[in-house]
Amino acid sequence: MAMLNESIAQDYKISDAAEATVEKPIRNSPRTITRRGLLSLGQTVPLTGAGALALQGCRDGGGSLSKSNMLSSQSISEPPSLTPEPMNSVINNKLSLAQASRFLSQAAIGYSKADILSVTDLGYAAWINGQFAKPRTQKFWDYLLAKGVDKEPRAIGYDSLIWSQLMGNDELLRQRVGLALHDMWVVSIYGIPGSWKGFVMADYFDRLWDNAFGNYRDIMEAVTTSVGMGLYLTFLGSEKANARGASPDENFARELMQLFTIGLHMLNQDGTIVLKDGKPVSTYTQSDVIQCARVWTGYTHANSDDTSPHRLKLGMIINPSKHEAGAINFLGISIPAGHDGATARKIALDGLFNHSNVGPFVARHLIQRLVTSNPSPAYISRVASVFNRNPNGVRGDMQSVISAVLLDPEARMDQNVSITETFGKLRDPVVRLVHWAKAFGVKSPTNSWPFGYLATNVKGIGAGPGHAPSVFNWYRPGYTVRGRIADSGLVAPELQITTEPQIISYVNQMQHFIIRGAGEARPDYSALKPLASDSTALLAELNLVLAANQLSATTLGLMQQALDSISPATNAGIMSRIHCAITMVMASPDYLVLR
Amino acid sequence: MTMNSSRRAFLKRASALSIAGSAAPFVLDLASIGEAAAATATDYKAIVCVYLSGGNDYANTLVPYDTRQYSAYQAQRPDLSYMKPALDATLLRPATPLPDDAQYALAPNLAKLLPIFAAGKMAVMLNVGSLVHPTSKAQYLSKSVPLPPRLMSHNDQQNFWLSSKPEGAPTGWGGRIGDLFQSGNGTSTLTCINASASTVFLTGNAAVQYTVPPSGPVGLTARQQDMPRKYISALEQLIGSGGSHLLQAEYGAVGKRALDLHGRVSTALANARVTATPFPNSSDNASLGAQLKLVAKLISMASELGAKRQVFFVSIGGFDTHSGLATTHPGLMAALADALRAFYDTTVELGVSDRVTTFTASDFGRSLTANHGGSDHGWGSVQFVLGGAVRGGQYYGINPVLANNGPDDIGQGRLIPTMSVEQYAATMAQWFGVSGSDLVTVLPNIGNYAGSPLGMNLGFV
Repeated sequence: MAMLNESIAQDYKISDAAEATVEKPIRNSPRTITRRGLLSLGQTVPLTGAGALALQGCRDGGGSLSKSNMLSSQSISEPPSLTPEPMNSVINNKLSLAQASRFLSQAAIGYSKADILSVTDLGYAAWINGQFAKPRTQKFWDYLLAKGVDKEPRAIGYDSLIWSQLMGNDELLRQRVGLALHDMWVVSIYGIPGSWKGFVMADYFDRLWDNAFGNYRDIMEAVTTSVGMGLYLTFLGSEKANARGASPDENFARELMQLFTIGLHMLNQDGTIVLKDGKPVSTYTQSDVIQCARVWTGYTHANSDDTSPHRLKLGMIINPSKHEAGAINFLGISIPAGHDGATARKIALDGLFNHSNVGPFVARHLIQRLVTSNPSPAYISRVASVFNRNPNGVRGDMQSVISAVLLDPEARMDQNVSITETFGKLRDPVVRLVHWAKAFGVKSPTNSWPFGYLATNVKGIGAGPGHAPSVFNWYRPGYTVRGRIADSGLVAPELQITTEPQIISYVNQMQHFIIRGAGEARPDYSALKPLASDSTALLAELNLVLAANQLSATTLGLMQQALDSISPATNAGIMSRIHCAITMVMASPDYLVLR
Repeated sequence: MTMNSSRRAFLKRASALSIAGSAAPFVLDLASIGEAAAATATDYKAIVCVYLSGGNDYANTLVPYDTRQYSAYQAQRPDLSYMKPALDATLLRPATPLPDDAQYALAPNLAKLLPIFAAGKMAVMLNVGSLVHPTSKAQYLSKSVPLPPRLMSHNDQQNFWLSSKPEGAPTGWGGRIGDLFQSGNGTSTLTCINASASTVFLTGNAAVQYTVPPSGPVGLTARQQDMPRKYISALEQLIGSGGSHLLQAEYGAVGKRALDLHGRVSTALANARVTATPFPNSSDNASLGAQLKLVAKLISMASELGAKRQVFFVSIGGFDTHSGLATTHPGLMAALADALRAFYDTTVELGVSDRVTTFTASDFGRSLTANHGGSDHGWGSVQFVLGGAVRGGQYYGINPVLANNGPDDIGQGRLIPTMSVEQYAATMAQWFGVSGSDLVTVLPNIGNYAGSPLGMNLGFV
C-alpha cells in the first residue's frame, strides 16, 4: 500500500497553515508569562476550522497531562480574538519553511535547504510517497562488493559501510526508518563471531532496509532467517533437546517476544499496560520461552563454504535432524507434532505477528524514534490502528504505519515548538551527524566516507549503528531521569547515553568534522558564504536548515555576539564564522531537543 | 558546618598542605573553599560496584568440587563442565566449611583471587539475587509472595539489581546511598562516579552520576585550539544552558557538570599517586582494568577532591553466554580476576584497602543445565566481595541444591535466591555508615528480611 489517503493529508496541510498563523500571537500573548504558566492555564476556547479538527484528534483519549506530555487542549486555547499575524512564508496554504524543516527532522536521516523547499512544494504526504517510490541506490552488500571486501577483507572499514549508506544517497526516509528498525531489531558487530563480519552486518542491514517500506511480517521473516540474527542471538547452531540433558537455546525466543514483537506486558491499543488487580498482565511466561525456543532449532548456514561471504546472503536453512519436530505450544500458538522447521517458523511468526500487542508496540517504537519520546496514548492508538488494519485491510503495512506516525496531528502540531515543555525528543547523535552532512552537501568522491568509528565517548559521538553494547541497544524506550522527567511520568530514551564525556566529545567531534570534514568527505559551504558577513542572516539560515527555527532569541543572541567578534573581512574570517555558527547551533539544547 | 568553621578548616588544611609542600593547584582556587573544607576529616570509605553485564554463569564461576555436588554439576552440563583435576588448584578452603562437606573451587582463571580469599579479604555470596520478600519454592509456585517483576529479562533485572525496580527506575541504591553522604563530601557531584556506561545504580534523588572515562574527563578541544575566544565562551554557555523544556534542562545540567568538573578532575588525575601494580589492558578505555585503574587514581586523590564517601561503578560485558560458554567464559573470568586483583593490590599499595569494599553484581545467574553451547537466563547467582574490611575467607548465604527442578530451583537449575540483593546491599551500606533508620530509604524492601534467617546484615563486612 503505497498511497496515502490524500484527503487526510490535505487536511493536515490546511491545519498546519492555520496553526502557523496563530503560533506567534500565542507566544506573545501577555497571558503567557512563562511556558509553565501557559501549560497550567485552564480555559478552553474552541478553535475553528481545519486546525480545530486536527486538534480535536489530540484530545481524544487524551489521558493525563503528566503522562501525555502533549500539549493539553487548554494550552492551545488562547482567545481567538487575538489578531493572527500572517507569516510571510504561509502563502496559499503552502507549508512554511520552518514547518517543512521540522517535518524533515522527524522524517529524514538528514536534509538540506533543497529538501525543505521540496517539502513545501509537495506537501508532507506527497513527499513521503515520493520517498516510498525511491529504489535503493546501493545496497550495503553491494557496497562491500564494489570495494572488493570479498577479495581483501581489509579493503574498507565497517564504518564506511554505514556512513556510505546513511550519507551517500537521497533515500532520506528509508535511511531514517531503517535506523529506527535497527534500533529495535538490534544486531551488533561485537556479537558476530567468525570471518566476513562486515558482510554479515551488510546482509542484515539490507534485510531491514529492503523491507522498511514493506510489511512488518516480512521484516520478521527476513530477520529471523538472517545469518546476522542467527549469530547474534545464537540460534544458528541451536539444537533440539538431547539425551545429555541439553535443551534448546532460549536467546532468540525470548528477545523475539520481548524486544521485537509483543513486549513484556499486555497492551491496550493505546500502548497503556493492561492491569489485573492493579498489576501488569505478562504477555508470556518462562514456559512460553522454553516452548518458543523449540521453534528456533536446527538453524544453520545455507552451505559449508566459508571461503567467500556469499553463503551469508542466502540466509539460514534448517537441518531437520536437529530441529525439534515435537508439538510446540506457546501463547496459544499451536504447532503440531511432526512439523518441519519452516512450518514451525510460519506458524510461530504468524501467531506473534497477529498478537494484539504488536501494533501499539511497534507504533510506540517508531514514534519515539521519529517524533517524540512521550506520545499520548491517543497518538499511539491511532498509529496502532493503522498497523492493525490500513485502509486496504492490510495488517502491518509499513508505508501506512510510517505515514500515520509522521502525519498524525500530534506530530504535525507546530505549536508544540513554542508551548510545550515535554513534547519531542533528543535527537540521536548519529542522526545529528548525518543531518549536518546532508545539510552541507558532504560528498565522498571515492565513496569511502571515512568518518570512522564514532561510537565512543572520548573521540566520537557516543553511539553508532551496529556497535550497540547489547541487543538492548544504546538506550531503552523506558529510560527516565530522576527529577522533573521521572516525576512527570515521562521517559527520555536518548538521555541514557547523554553523559558528561558524551556531550563534550560530541561537540568536539562535530567541530572537527564541521571544519575539516573527514578525509575526502568535505562539506560545501558555498551557499553560506554570501550570508556570513551578516551574522543575522547566517544564523537565520542555520536556524532554519538545522533547527527548524526552534532556536530561542536568547540562544541566537548569544551566538550572534560570538560571531560578531569574528571579522568577516577575510575569507578565513568568513569560514571561521560559518564553522563557529554551525558548531554552536549543533551544540545548543535548542537544536538538540527536537520539539 | 557553618561557613566560618569551613573557612577555618580550609585554611588550616591549606596550611598543612603547603607545609607538606604538596598543595594541589585547586586548593588555591578560592571558589572551592567551602567545598574543600568538608574533607578535613580523615575518614574515607568507598564502595565499588563491578558489574558483570549479561548475567554471569554461576556454575562455571564457583564450580562444585565435592563428589556429590560435582557429579550433579557434571550430569547437568556434561559439555560445559570443567574436568575435576582442573579445579584442584583453585579449591576454596574456607575458615568455616559448608554443611554436608560441600566444597567449591573458583573457576581456574579466577586463580588470581585465591590469595585474597585465603588472606580472608574476599567473601563468596551463595545464591544471591533479586527478591522482594524471602521466597521459598512453594511460595514461588503458588505466587503467595510478591516476586520481582520481569524475571529473566536482562534490562529489567539489571535495573532491579541496581535499583530495586525494573526498567524505568529513576534512582539506584548506590545513588540513594550517595544522597545520604554527598553533603559531607567537598564536591557533592563527585560522590557517585561512573567509569563505564550510564547506569541507574549511581543516580540518587539528589545525587547524580558523574561519568569519567578511564582516559580522564573529556574537555572541549576548542579550548586547546586557536578558536575565537567569544566563540568558546558562547559554546560553553550553550552546552550548559539547558532550557525550560524538560529534556533540554537535563541535557544542560549534564553539560554544565561536564564543564564545571573537567579542570578539577583532570588535575586530580594528573596528580594521582603513582602505583606500581600494573592493571590489565589499561590502555583500552573499555576494559575493566582501565576502569578500575581510574577508580584507584580517584581514590588516591580523595582527600584532595574533598571526598569522604564515594560510590563507584565499573562494568565488563560479554556474560550473556547462551552459546560458546566453554570457550568465552574462561576468558571473562581471567579478565575479571586480573582486574580485581590489580585493583585490590593497588588499594593495599595506597594504604586504603580497609576503606574500599568492592563487590560484583550481574543481571542474574544462569541455568545449570546446558543448551548445547551455553546456559540460559536464570535468577540466583554467585557474587564476590573484596576488601580489607571484608570478613572473607568464607561463604555467606545458604548453599543451594544443584539440580534440575530440585528444591531450590524453578527448573533447569535456575536458582531461587535465598539471599536478596537488598540484604547484600544493606550489609555494605551499613559498613559505609548508613544508619538503620535510613536503610529503608536506600533499600525499600529491606524490612521484609528483618526476621529472616540471614537478617538485614549478612556480616561479611
